[in-house]
Amino acid sequence: MNASAQNSNVSGSNWLPSSIAAGVTVALLTALTLSVRSNCVAAGERLTTPDVAKPKVATAEDAEAKYCTPQFKDVLQRVLHSCGLMNENSRRGCKPADVKTFASISDEDFNALFRPLKDRGGVVLFETGKDDLDEAARKLIDERWEDRRGARYFLVVGRASTTGSTEKNRALSHRRANSVLFRVKELTPDDPDIENKVGLLWLGSEFAQLDEKEFCAWPNSGAPTDQAGAQGDKVAAKGAEKCDDKAINQSAFASWVDCRL
Amino acid sequence: MSAPNSKIPAAIALVGSLLGVLFATYSTLDYSNHLDRRLHDIHCSIIPGAPVTSAGDACRAAMYSPYSAILKERFWGGIPISLFAQGAFIFFVGFSLYLLLAGARAPKQALSFFGLIALTPLAASLTMLTISLVKLGSVCTTCAGIYTSSTLLALGALLGLRNLRAAASADGQQANMRPNVQSAERPQVPMLFPLAWLLALAVCTIVPARVYASSMPDHRPYLGTCGGLKNVREPKSLLHLHTAEPVQQATLFEDPLCPTCRAFHHRMLAENMFDKLNPTMVMFPLDSECNWMLEEPLHPGSCVVARAVLCAGDNARAVLEWAYDEQPALTEAGKSGKTAIEGMVGARWGDSILQCSRSKDAQKKLNEHLHYAVDNGIDLSTPQVFLDGKRFCDEDTDIGLRYTMAQLAPQVVK
Repeated sequence: MNASAQNSNVSGSNWLPSSIAAGVTVALLTALTLSVRSNCVAAGERLTTPDVAKPKVATAEDAEAKYCTPQFKDVLQRVLHSCGLMNENSRRGCKPADVKTFASISDEDFNALFRPLKDRGGVVLFETGKDDLDEAARKLIDERWEDRRGARYFLVVGRASTTGSTEKNRALSHRRANSVLFRVKELTPDDPDIENKVGLLWLGSEFAQLDEKEFCAWPNSGAPTDQAGAQGDKVAAKGAEKCDDKAINQSAFASWVDCRL
Repeated sequence: MSAPNSKIPAAIALVGSLLGVLFATYSTLDYSNHLDRRLHDIHCSIIPGAPVTSAGDACRAAMYSPYSAILKERFWGGIPISLFAQGAFIFFVGFSLYLLLAGARAPKQALSFFGLIALTPLAASLTMLTISLVKLGSVCTTCAGIYTSSTLLALGALLGLRNLRAAASADGQQANMRPNVQSAERPQVPMLFPLAWLLALAVCTIVPARVYASSMPDHRPYLGTCGGLKNVREPKSLLHLHTAEPVQQATLFEDPLCPTCRAFHHRMLAENMFDKLNPTMVMFPLDSECNWMLEEPLHPGSCVVARAVLCAGDNARAVLEWAYDEQPALTEAGKSGKTAIEGMVGARWGDSILQCSRSKDAQKKLNEHLHYAVDNGIDLSTPQVFLDGKRFCDEDTDIGLRYTMAQLAPQVVK
């Protein structure tokens, strides 16, 4: 058989299988191409006109502890707003009259709000009429400051005992709160945001005095640090023979507050 | 064993080609679904017709890998190689169908051509299988379906070649014994035919890819629209990792025990992009031991590893990459408790890093990282990538990574 006869054989006898195969190939290729195009166009339509909103992802936030009750947050927010912490370019700190006005809360209820912070914070004790920090006080502040966890605000509440005039006690409690703030600034010298973290209140001897029965048992700078906070661990304040109403109010309470505001 | 003119080889090749079309179609479909920048369930089964699944980490890892597509810098996600496989398998469906129908009338050149060219999918499959095992450390089951299909196709082609040789040998013997009797020779075709078949294969392979490229949506308006870093002070404790040729600042929030972070890091390395970054690394472990944003640990033990990274100083990158490499074992250890994972850290990096990772100072540093995340209001997820403060959307860190980088920081992909 010569070549032309063979070719004729190919074209004559093989046309049906080759036609079927070519037809199937073209049909599959066309289907594939149309399907690819259709999928891409559909994806484009979903992109421009989404029918389902993207699932929302939680964002990184400050801690929110259980003690952050609405009442606690309400008072805290009012205090922080009023004391310049949450407003730029406003004065810093709150004097007793401010707290009374903005907190709108009784002395007892005010102190009760801080009860959950017993083990989170510490009471820095001062000698009568003094505002300087001793070694134990610095250590207590350092430990509390370092133990920030997820908190945003560090609250310092300065107090004075009822000894002396109201005016003197206001100024003294202010200086005591500031002593804590200055120590914190020493610990974080390059944080320009420090003023927005630390909230200062000074209550003098006029508002929310601490009751020795309860608060002498709180962690304080008069106790060895590792024993601080133990139940019933009453420790004498500086210069006092025993922890009483006077000694416990010659103080500044300092604590991180794990609440979102 | 099939007879010299048996149709079995063509039938095997046809089955292999059809399965190849099916598995490649699943793979392409999964890919094109993601062009809407959303997360979809994917096909991940060796069983044809199995439904999509939200599981299938190996299939997703393969899909997100640099090896799943080409031209990733030019097109968002690139052109999936499964699309080329689909076109090629369609060609082989047609050709094997022709051989099946033509039987003994099929030209010798057709069988020879098929015998050679049908081995290329197997060669490609072996290459991809090697990459999967060596680079990705896993094999996706849909890909395994394609590998099996390629093997069947190659088997059919080789059997066809063998039959052709057997037939030629039989013809030779017959011609010697009975020289006056003409044997039933297969027809001959001009040499132009194989060239035409090659052209047909090229058309089948390229046309769908061309259509895909021209139909896909434009992703440029969506790049870098997922927020950014706020102008907040960076704590000194943030890590500045050493890279070979840094040309682009980047801030990365990562969790050393997060599988997505691990895949992302390996992808960056495989794409030769990580060493062109000047990365500021923020440790963001999703573990409630140190991260107050979670009630339950998502990746238990990651706080321990994160602190070890922070304690490593100049070795921080090495510790982080060790954590990624050893992530499965570390994850198991983390589930067993702090002691087990600390044991692994100590065994690999020594007592000084272990002791440091237990210190208050390390905890304080890690806390600063977490607060940096809060101050920037970032999403509670990892990884997160910011280039010059502009956030990569999540979908741009997986299949769209190279395209997004080419658009937002072209110097990184050069």
